[in-house]
Amino acid sequence: MANLECNPADWEDFEAAAKRSIEQHIRNSFVHTYKPVLDDAEYRSFESMEEYRRWCKENLPEWLGYSRD
Amino acid sequence: MAVFEFRSAQELGRIFDQHGVKYLFFGKSGAILLGYSDTTQDVDLYVDKQRDNCEKIVAALLELGFRLTEKEQEEIRRGKDFIQLRNGPFDVDLIFAPDGIERFDDAWKRRVEKHGFPIASMDDIIGSKQAANRQKDRESLPRLLSFMEWLRGHK
Repeated sequence: MANLECNPADWEDFEAAAKRSIEQHIRNSFVHTYKPVLDDAEYRSFESMEEYRRWCKENLPEWLGYSRD
Repeated sequence: MAVFEFRSAQELGRIFDQHGVKYLFFGKSGAILLGYSDTTQDVDLYVDKQRDNCEKIVAALLELGFRLTEKEQEEIRRGKDFIQLRNGPFDVDLIFAPDGIERFDDAWKRRVEKHGFPIASMDDIIGSKQAANRQKDRESLPRLLSFMEWLRGHK
């Protein structure tokens, strides 16, 4: 696993989340935000993860962050 | 599109269990069920690619209310590596071969049970994001690592 620096300041958020009910926590966490192209089809399938990554690179706006570049 | 709520997770868990589906909540949605605070819109499920499990997944998804054509059902039965579903009560990504994990059984042994759900370990969730190495994964990793550290102190 890569050695990435952890930020203990995040811990306040985690402590606060732990005090909420699971129902509220899930309500706060699953938020539907329209993602262009990605959300424009009801179903997509890919034979391999490589094929999926290639499709993301060729079709999704770069700002969505699905590129490996 | 209905939003994914805790009762949605309970319904998914109940129906998947009834059908005997072998699955793990995965990715950011798995981390959220473990207590991680962040937002996402879809549910990532890491599912075992064994043929009989794939059959059970189709039956369970249909019972949950996903509208699957015959062709789509067949693709799930075949266990294509990645399937994105936006045709049901909530958004689901079925992942049969996540980056960074060789075999489902290995991840299953390392799973965490919380709220009655089987959830991939934070090591696997983070390891897979590191292996995927997309821009959005790189951005989310520091906070996920912080959460893993926090979680270790709160078991």
